[in-house]
Amino acid sequence: MSEVLIIGAGFAGLGTAIRLLEQGIDDFTILERGDDVGGTWRDNSYPGAACDIPSLLYSYSFEQNPDWSKAYSGGPEILRYIQRMVDKHDLRRFIKFGVNVTGLTFDESNGIWTADTASGEIFTGRCAVMAAGPLANASWPDIRGLDSYTGHKIHSARWDHDYDMKGKHVAVIGTGASAVQIIPELVKTAARVKVFQRTPGWVLPRLDFQHPAWAQRIFGSNPAVQSLARQAWYWTHEAAAVGMVWDTPVTSLIQSIAKANLRRQISDPWTRRQLTPDFRAGCKRMLMTSDYYAALEKDNCKLITWPIATLSPNGIRTADGIEHDVDCIVFATGFDVCKAGTPFPIAGRDSRKLADEWSGGAYAYKSVNVAGYPNLFFTFGPNSGPGHNSALVYMEAQIDYIVQAIGIVRDKDLLTLDVRQDRQDQFNDDIQQRLGKTTWNSGCQSWYLTADGKNTTMFPGFATQFVRQLRAVELDDYSFTSGAAVAASVSTSA
Amino acid sequence: MAIALDSILATIKDKQWALADIDWDAPGAEQVTDEQRPALKEFMSDLVWIENVGARGFAALATKAPDEDLKQIYTYFHAEEQRHANAELALMRRWGMIEEGEMPVPNKNIRLVIEWLDRYSDSLSLASLGTVIPSLETALDGALVKFLLDEVDDPVCHEVFRHINSDESRHLAVGFQVLDMLGASSMRQLIVETVGTFIKPSVMLGLLVYSPLLTRMVTNISAMGLSEEKLYNAIKRYENVGERSENTRRLPAYHLIKYHARIAINQTQPFQFVSESMGRAIDLFPIRVLGKTPTWSQELTYEPVSR
Repeated sequence: MSEVLIIGAGFAGLGTAIRLLEQGIDDFTILERGDDVGGTWRDNSYPGAACDIPSLLYSYSFEQNPDWSKAYSGGPEILRYIQRMVDKHDLRRFIKFGVNVTGLTFDESNGIWTADTASGEIFTGRCAVMAAGPLANASWPDIRGLDSYTGHKIHSARWDHDYDMKGKHVAVIGTGASAVQIIPELVKTAARVKVFQRTPGWVLPRLDFQHPAWAQRIFGSNPAVQSLARQAWYWTHEAAAVGMVWDTPVTSLIQSIAKANLRRQISDPWTRRQLTPDFRAGCKRMLMTSDYYAALEKDNCKLITWPIATLSPNGIRTADGIEHDVDCIVFATGFDVCKAGTPFPIAGRDSRKLADEWSGGAYAYKSVNVAGYPNLFFTFGPNSGPGHNSALVYMEAQIDYIVQAIGIVRDKDLLTLDVRQDRQDQFNDDIQQRLGKTTWNSGCQSWYLTADGKNTTMFPGFATQFVRQLRAVELDDYSFTSGAAVAASVSTSA
Repeated sequence: MAIALDSILATIKDKQWALADIDWDAPGAEQVTDEQRPALKEFMSDLVWIENVGARGFAALATKAPDEDLKQIYTYFHAEEQRHANAELALMRRWGMIEEGEMPVPNKNIRLVIEWLDRYSDSLSLASLGTVIPSLETALDGALVKFLLDEVDDPVCHEVFRHINSDESRHLAVGFQVLDMLGASSMRQLIVETVGTFIKPSVMLGLLVYSPLLTRMVTNISAMGLSEEKLYNAIKRYENVGERSENTRRLPAYHLIKYHARIAINQTQPFQFVSESMGRAIDLFPIRVLGKTPTWSQELTYEPVSR
């Protein structure tokens, strides 16, 4: 048995491992279903994959990398950063690759989590950390005739690098964060690219630039300078919350900038109309790209906004009655995000099932704990998504909180550490009330919301507020049983 | 009776069809005679463009829809009207009325309607567009299309219009449902909205463009042999269905549209004189000053498959 089971060897799982090691806890096991580390950045290897948050900020403050080549690094460079982190801390010795967890069950009598796996092997731990990631499972769209199409199908999160796009007629379904990065790359090689859009997003230019060699040298020799640069990016993004988290005059300003960006790059008024969102900026994820609109203007690219009626053996039929004959369809259609369920069954106290409790929408205490599931911790749990800042800032705060709590369980020899139901309810009442005033709940349909319109994904505030609430584990928020007490009662009754 | 918008949206998705479903080379094209061809070409050309401007109207409506289902429905209707235009273009191609790559040229009235829609339709209210469109749909469905099917024996034409009529029945059902919904507002609100709509310069300009088009179409179709009775019945249908709903009867705009259609069909004076004069004025209008047509009106195609 391990002290801690960590599920997932992506950013969150590896970050947790590093912080545990720093606290002197090295009795943990990381269960990873893939054959390598990296999670999202291992899976999303499509052409043009990059982060829309500056790398200085999209990295751990405790693992700074002075060598970022540019402001917004590409997927391969981010993956290399993750791999270097793993090598530096020799984390592979803790990772069990190819282990697909199929269920987690808590045994209250001895305070142990048991992970069942697809191979039948069983792992146990006193604490469990869910670090499976919200964007781990590729989502195929609910489109008629999906299986009838006989051409080549590629999902953006499972790119087929063996397929040569040169000279091909390609359709891209979706115009979200992945699509706007893929399309500019595809138009360079494919003979023709047809972009099928359902809903346009707000697009802001991504002001990318190379990090000069002198800056990299300074970052390398003076980490404090790099921290300052990171802080500059951090506060720039924090300021954006005023317009992106809440609907304010700044939101209108952001829309005006996005509209000017559209007008500057798209010459045809009708196309501009088709590319103009009908929701407030920030309600869905902002798209940060400087080359998407330029790609749409290329002669070999066409934007199609007719609804897709069905896929057919040769391509895509749109509701205007036309069949678009293509060699390959790229599905940039996102991920199955668990907003009202869990990626696998999780059974807590009294065999309660988390998926049942979350059927109306997920909730947790400070995004990390759920009452009735002692010693279980979530990274990227309910209501911890940022709309304006780096996910890693949020993740780092969660990890530090989790590591603190695990330290408490270990140091106090606790059998169970369980968040109090009343504190959790109070927390969620407050969160949902505050969410009502955000742009995410201003009327658009997005992956942030459940089918019933409940926002279980985002945190309604500044990153600074999120980090502050997770600064310290308040034992008063938890009920706990001591391992020693149980041992004593067992010995007494014996 | 009220219909559930979510269920009609599901039906719309179920009933999608494509140009590729139709055998455009099937026998029967020869049933269109040389005698019919010139007038039929003009008629079909008008029909194609009316479908296309109807499509643009639905695109504008989609942005006004008060709920997601209705928005999606209008988005489909936008595409479906385009599909009708494409299918009618394919019939024209089948009948040898257009050459490869050729697009019929919209007449001056329609060209002005295209221009007007391009400039103003997105700024119109749901109430104004939502009242006019069912009137045009009933006229199109009840008069023009029925007339065409009476005149042309080509089985492919009948197959195409079976599909189109099926779509149009849903367009009408939703159209009248929306009229009913609009009529549920308070009378004060209805009056304010109606007056607010009709004093808009863009709407007044729209009436000046639309009215001669309707008059011209009535004149043309009468000249081709459509009886006044059939025309009257088509317009009467808008009234008959509209009158069934107490809410719709409360809509001032509904009564205005109904009245306008009636005087256009009956060629009532002095309306007829004014409208014909406007038509003559439009004939003299130097359409070149409008420049290129908007790109939404350049996307029609008779090709079932696009590569």
